[in-house]
Amino acid sequence: MSGPVLAWSRLRPTPALQVSAAAVLLAFGVGALLIAALGVPVGDAVAAFADGAWGSSYALAASINRALVLMLVGLGFILAERANLTNVGGEGQIAVGGITATALALWPPVAQLPWGLAFIVPMLGACAAGAFWGGIAGVLRVKMGTNEVIATLLLSFIAIWMVYGSVQSEHLLRRPMTSSATLPESLEIPVATQLPLLTGDAGTPLHVGLLIGVVLAVAVALLLNRTVTGLQLRATGLNPRAARRAGMPIDRLAIGALCAAGAFGGLAGAFMLQGEQYTLKAGFSSGYGFDGLVVGLLARGSATGVVAGSLLFGFLRSGGINLEMVAQVPTALVVVIQGLIIVTLAGAAIGIQRMEARRK
Amino acid sequence: MRERHAIGLGDGISDGGPGFAATPAAAPLLKLEGLSKRFGALQALQDVSLALHPGEVHCLLGENGAGKSTLCNLVFGVHAADAGEMTLAGGAFRPRSPADALSHGIAMVHQHFSLVPDMTVLDNLLLGQVRGVLDRKAGAARIAAMRERYGLALDPHAKVQDLSVGERQRVEIVKCLVREPRLLVLDEPTAVLLPQEIEALLSVCTRVAQQGCGVVLVTHKLAEIQRVARRATVLRGGRVVARSDAPAQDIDALVRAMIQRDLQAPAAAPVRASRASRPAPGSPTREAALLADGLTVRDVDGVVRLDNFTLVVEPGEILAIAGVEGNGQSELGAVLSGMLRPTEGRYFVCGEDMTRATPRQLSAAGCGVVPEDRHALACVTGMNVAENIMLDRLDRFRRFGLLDRAAMRREALDLMQRYDVRAASPDVPFGGLSGGNQQKAVLARELTLEGLRFLLAAQPTRGLDVGAVEAVYGHIRAAADRGVGVLLISSELDELLSVADRVLVLYRGRVMGTCPTAGADRARIGAWMAGHRDKEDVAKEVAP
Repeated sequence: MSGPVLAWSRLRPTPALQVSAAAVLLAFGVGALLIAALGVPVGDAVAAFADGAWGSSYALAASINRALVLMLVGLGFILAERANLTNVGGEGQIAVGGITATALALWPPVAQLPWGLAFIVPMLGACAAGAFWGGIAGVLRVKMGTNEVIATLLLSFIAIWMVYGSVQSEHLLRRPMTSSATLPESLEIPVATQLPLLTGDAGTPLHVGLLIGVVLAVAVALLLNRTVTGLQLRATGLNPRAARRAGMPIDRLAIGALCAAGAFGGLAGAFMLQGEQYTLKAGFSSGYGFDGLVVGLLARGSATGVVAGSLLFGFLRSGGINLEMVAQVPTALVVVIQGLIIVTLAGAAIGIQRMEARRK
Repeated sequence: MRERHAIGLGDGISDGGPGFAATPAAAPLLKLEGLSKRFGALQALQDVSLALHPGEVHCLLGENGAGKSTLCNLVFGVHAADAGEMTLAGGAFRPRSPADALSHGIAMVHQHFSLVPDMTVLDNLLLGQVRGVLDRKAGAARIAAMRERYGLALDPHAKVQDLSVGERQRVEIVKCLVREPRLLVLDEPTAVLLPQEIEALLSVCTRVAQQGCGVVLVTHKLAEIQRVARRATVLRGGRVVARSDAPAQDIDALVRAMIQRDLQAPAAAPVRASRASRPAPGSPTREAALLADGLTVRDVDGVVRLDNFTLVVEPGEILAIAGVEGNGQSELGAVLSGMLRPTEGRYFVCGEDMTRATPRQLSAAGCGVVPEDRHALACVTGMNVAENIMLDRLDRFRRFGLLDRAAMRREALDLMQRYDVRAASPDVPFGGLSGGNQQKAVLARELTLEGLRFLLAAQPTRGLDVGAVEAVYGHIRAAADRGVGVLLISSELDELLSVADRVLVLYRGRVMGTCPTAGADRARIGAWMAGHRDKEDVAKEVAP
């Protein structure tokens, strides 16, 4: 009897999806009102936003690249979240990933490597560095009982300042000072170490990271929902003592989950450096780690949710930049809209939970 | 199926039954009419009608998952009914919260206590009941009055953490009674008590009822019904299946109504059926299933919880650890399940030293564990039934790196049928199962451990109804008959004596005595449990 009912409910958009969409629209609506209140014609603002977000092939590619970075951090977040660990250290993991990728890419032998290893090696190095950074928090958590929220957050600050430090000194990554005007940043990494463009056209800067990201998103979804490890992570998160009693290596799972989250952050750093910026400078991440954290939080454990959320926030960031440049609307407003989306989505989540509870 | 009123209806009033003050013809205090409650797929209650009278003890009977707790929670305002009416003293009654129910004169003692261990009895009593200035003197006077009225003796200045479980429960009851409730609901209050404590609790129930208060006693224990119940109602599958106005006489019919099973369900193996056919314990060819050698556990405060504990469990033997709870049983269980390292001593499973083994190594060595605290250690309530049954063997369902859910589900379903785990499907959340079914699922997992040689079963029947208890022991017995050595820790002496081969009594972490269960002297065991050693033992010690 329940068969057809079940199938029917599967075909229909879930109330969760409808409510989420409504929440996003509501946030945009409020944003439009605010823009109008600033005296900017809403039509102009919307046009500028759309132009910046997806108006040209360049804008579209830039938005997708931004989304990609957010997605990686978000995927890492939900991975650790499955083991009941909250990784707020995405920003730091991006930073150590960026530093490592820069260092490896600028090391002459690497650029000489054949078969694409020239860009793969810095990427893998960035993953390892991020995993190490996340792993520190994991080990602290398991061995000393340090709360991973605090550990990952504080490690982020260390990493952010490590970027600053490494581009201040010529002994580290700063480009040779030829004049007093030489900026505190690294040299541009060699072309061989840059992520190859998918279109072969710099006007549409989509790079191979997109393919890697898609593969990883599918892999994370499979890992969480369709593998033994996913179940073990879940058991560890829900009831660590029962998981241990059932013979699961809960310490290794916890450290592993934070390492994996860190590796995703590190890879995000590599994508930003090798796929977009090509030089390392202070503040090179500018908050992607924290935005990615928000994406992960809003996704509530679903890889699909991470993909959707990162696309939303990626386009929002791109559109917002243009909004400021063209329509003279302060980017602060984009941050406000972003905040509104977070609040309305979180509120919607609670509403959906209540709805489900009432149906029971 | 309609409610059956057959039992006891019109039997008249038995004056020979336990003493009661009120006349049965009095208007009901609380009337429940057609209550229904649904949790997801589970219809917890269906069209339940019930009348509770002032001055009477009303026993609510039923197996685990029959809906007794749900019914109590509706009355106490924890949940709201989906359908049906409640009438309290003639007026409509719809409690929105426990606080609301309390203000209407309904008090409830839950299975789990809500006391602050670090505070005194008096302060616990004053908690939440005082506005403005604390008046400890008046509070102490009220405690004294409780002793006067109901025989509930309590030291107001004792710290709750120093009290026994029975005394703590008394604090909970006094907390309710000082509010002068019209109706007192006790949810399985005797599950945690010693025999003499149960006796005391039952007389309190009677006295409370004599003062004109209605009492609802949720229980599975038949002796209690006989002793105090003025009326009884049996729930099964969320429906009222029997009621009686003379439960003391209808006891057989009530039990039948309570545990009546579907015919296709596998019957529990008869306990002790094949005892004679098992190899003689201690046959020299076989190594002891468990050998504990001088196990000692000191807790963080340095208190000795387990003191130089030594025992041998032979293959095929069921050795029971008896004793009042808190005398080292929990520590013993924790050590033998790999969750706690002993301070001193070693233990061997089939000759292998497992003292420093992890739970995983223990499982690999064939040690099954049914832990005392099911929710903390044996299951993940947020995961589904299949996942929980396969929790320790998930690796078996790896196929091409992915999880073979279909195979997992299939095997879980098979185990659910073999062990009579009743759930809508293997995919429902484990937390939604009743306690008895959860325990059967845990047992299914532990008893099907590959190469099982030793089973530790700690309080395996706590909170389970008669039918489930029988099933659990049937499975344990069957395992022993296959040659598994079983260490059974329980505080239910009757159960121990009927299922085990040998009983050993723990008192303050030490072995007080051990004897075969066949022809066991209960008085002697009782004395051991209370810390009295046999005279000859003492004599031996004094004059070596």
